[in-house]
Amino acid sequence: MLNTNYVVEMKDIKKSFGSVHAVKNGQFTLRKGEVHSLIGENGAGKSTMMKLLYGMYPFDAGEVTINGKKYEHINPKAAIEAGVGMVHQEFMLVNELTVLENIILGFEPKKGLTIDFAAARAMAQKYIDQYNMDVQLDKKISQISVGEAQRVEIIKILARGAEIIILDEPTAVLTPQETRRLFEILNNLREDGKSIVFISHKLNEVMEISDRISCMRQGQYTGTVNKAETSPIELTKMMVGREVVLNIEKKTAHQGGVVLDVKDIWTSGEKEISKIRGISFDVKAGEIVGIAGIDGNGQSELIEAIAGLRQVEKGTVTLDGVDITNKTVKQIRDAGLTHIPEDRNTRGLNRAFTIGENLVEVELDQAPVKKGFVINKAAITQRAKDMIEKFDIRPADGSLPTSSLSGGNAQKVVVAREVNLGGKLLIASQPTRGVDIGAIESIRTILQDVKEKGLGVLLVSAELEEIMSLSDRIIVMHEGKITGRLAAEEADEEEIGMLMMGGYAHDKKGE
Amino acid sequence: MKKKFDVKSVLNVLLPLVLALAVGAIIILFIGENPIEAYAALIEGAFKGKLRLGTTLAGFTPLLLTSLAFIVAAKAGAFNVGVEGEVLLGGIVAAYIGINWTFLPAPLLIIACFLGAMIVAALWAFIPAALKAYYDVSEVCVTILMNSVALYITNYLVSGPMSAGTTIAESKPVAVTLPKLMMPSALNAGIFIAIVVTIVMIFILQKTSLGTKIRLVGTNPANAEYAGINPKHTFIKAMMISGALGGIAGTIEVLGVHGAFLNNFASGLGNNGMLAALIAKCNVFTAPIISFFIAMLNSGAMRMQQATNVPKSLIDTITAVFIIFACMELIGNLKKRAAKKAEEKK
Repeated sequence: MLNTNYVVEMKDIKKSFGSVHAVKNGQFTLRKGEVHSLIGENGAGKSTMMKLLYGMYPFDAGEVTINGKKYEHINPKAAIEAGVGMVHQEFMLVNELTVLENIILGFEPKKGLTIDFAAARAMAQKYIDQYNMDVQLDKKISQISVGEAQRVEIIKILARGAEIIILDEPTAVLTPQETRRLFEILNNLREDGKSIVFISHKLNEVMEISDRISCMRQGQYTGTVNKAETSPIELTKMMVGREVVLNIEKKTAHQGGVVLDVKDIWTSGEKEISKIRGISFDVKAGEIVGIAGIDGNGQSELIEAIAGLRQVEKGTVTLDGVDITNKTVKQIRDAGLTHIPEDRNTRGLNRAFTIGENLVEVELDQAPVKKGFVINKAAITQRAKDMIEKFDIRPADGSLPTSSLSGGNAQKVVVAREVNLGGKLLIASQPTRGVDIGAIESIRTILQDVKEKGLGVLLVSAELEEIMSLSDRIIVMHEGKITGRLAAEEADEEEIGMLMMGGYAHDKKGE
Repeated sequence: MKKKFDVKSVLNVLLPLVLALAVGAIIILFIGENPIEAYAALIEGAFKGKLRLGTTLAGFTPLLLTSLAFIVAAKAGAFNVGVEGEVLLGGIVAAYIGINWTFLPAPLLIIACFLGAMIVAALWAFIPAALKAYYDVSEVCVTILMNSVALYITNYLVSGPMSAGTTIAESKPVAVTLPKLMMPSALNAGIFIAIVVTIVMIFILQKTSLGTKIRLVGTNPANAEYAGINPKHTFIKAMMISGALGGIAGTIEVLGVHGAFLNNFASGLGNNGMLAALIAKCNVFTAPIISFFIAMLNSGAMRMQQATNVPKSLIDTITAVFIIFACMELIGNLKKRAAKKAEEKK
């Protein structure tokens, strides 16, 4: 039965967390020296499959074979010994240590009682040269870019002897240019005989880098294809079970006057590079303005400042003629701002409360939600019923706590609440982050509808493709400043990518 | 977030209770006494006869309010250790008004005592609340320290300006008292006030927009802020309500139980209320049951010590064990384990 062609064989894998069956029927094989992509929507079980291989959780049933050896149980230690290494979505690096210290952390080469830094450096340098990695060994992690941190993670696992390298959504945080660089490194690794698992849901990248592609849907394995014999359309079908239109046709709505006017605002930042340093722009009624940029370059701070969640130190924000600079959230919302926040679990929802309660939490002081002193339960039930129907929230029971919802449905609760409020400006910050393709499709359509209704929409997204397919105008941010303004029809990915990294392009089209 | 009166939450209290009593029984066995006898003496001491039952109920009254005070603050995300100080300050204000504002007719004077106590105790709670909300100073530290300050303030007042001139530190008797019940026990009409206040508070927390906001802020302040609810103001409001409840407890003790302000009368009231709230996991429906249980233990303990050789401090051990078991969420864990086993069998 043993197939020596495969370095990894996972058969009939099952894994549940409580009552959630994350993986129902997992199949996966990996050949030596190939890049094998594992695709699927969020929650399809692809990360879970690989975490099982890496031994982060025990699998409930099935067979795992690594290099011909069958494992009943795997823990990370056994997995590392078997040559498996994993680069997680969230990097596991110590910010306050240097790159070199991070690389050797946990298995430091010793010289007597002290760490042999010379040997460590030589070892790290070897990998840097061999795979053309470009990493600065003496910088602290907090000082390097995300792309570089990712390369540090790769060196880290190579240094631990990894022959099988798992990358969990590695491109989610990268610019197009950094992605290309990552692919060069992956190609080098492949040529060197390493076997690579590439987890992603971005089909164009999968088509570029893979040798074979396996797909999962709702915990089920749906098939493996050779890259050469497939197409993105077929892959989408495998992922979703039907055809999906993500590139929603852009409609031009009748544009009105300026709804949001931001003039030279300055704010504090979570990090030095995310401080807002003098930003001005406007959003008109009936248009979508997209803000592109690498995460953490001030987009969050900018949105918080507009929404009243962060102090504006200098400058003014005007919403439909009303000065909302440093007003309370309530005043700003009363002036017509609605807001889909980037983090639905802490900002957008109260997970201890029900769907219905979350749908009305902005209106606790207004009829019909408030009747006399008392919260009107019937009104909440009615609202939940309406919104569940209109926005297709599942399961269709408004009395369930939002903590029981999937990412896509939880996000729909937020979208439903904010869109239902009407208002004049909708801020949509990472509106489709971590949601399944079906929800992405419907949320994008909703944003278009909102625009057509004559609201201004300010869209922030780390997904360049989302920005480009929805926006009428694009603003690119880098280190708290605007590095470019482009009209959507003139923008190309390459140019936006440059601007995201702080490169300058001429203003193609001003405001 | 629905917290209905359900079987599970009651079971979650009952099972730890039985286990705590079992641990107590084992300790009693080690002391060389008969646990059944000891517990029988305890129950007898808590319930047998008008005096004993009245004493238990009189002990229950302030605990009902102080546990509620802790819970209201906890719903907004505060850990208010300062209820005892609020009880003391409420008590001293009630005593002052009760002694000096004799120009008011008796019913109005009682109302004035309650209102005065509630206002001052609420303002007292405002201090740690505002420090937490605006300067992120731990309310736990501040309230612990402020308990001592409250004790010293009242100690000074009843030893000096408000002293009755007797050898013990107490104020002059107040001009109005709450009607006594089940004489000669300390029980008084305050228990009805406490029950009504409890019902009103449960209503406010569960049904009103203020209560909903308090619970929203307590479970996720970032979300509340985003939804346009000011988490700082809401937090402060909840703390001030908590303080006012402490003030009511203090007033009942002064006007109903003692008839004057006795120095340090609130000793243990705040802490026991907090323990009751913690055991009940801040569930407003189970907290009264736990308060009653603690009141029972406290009033029966002396009888147990007299009838057997079991020291009454065993009660503290049982309470402590109770807390530990209650915090383990036994029912939930047992169910999970059973479900897992059932699945494995399949």
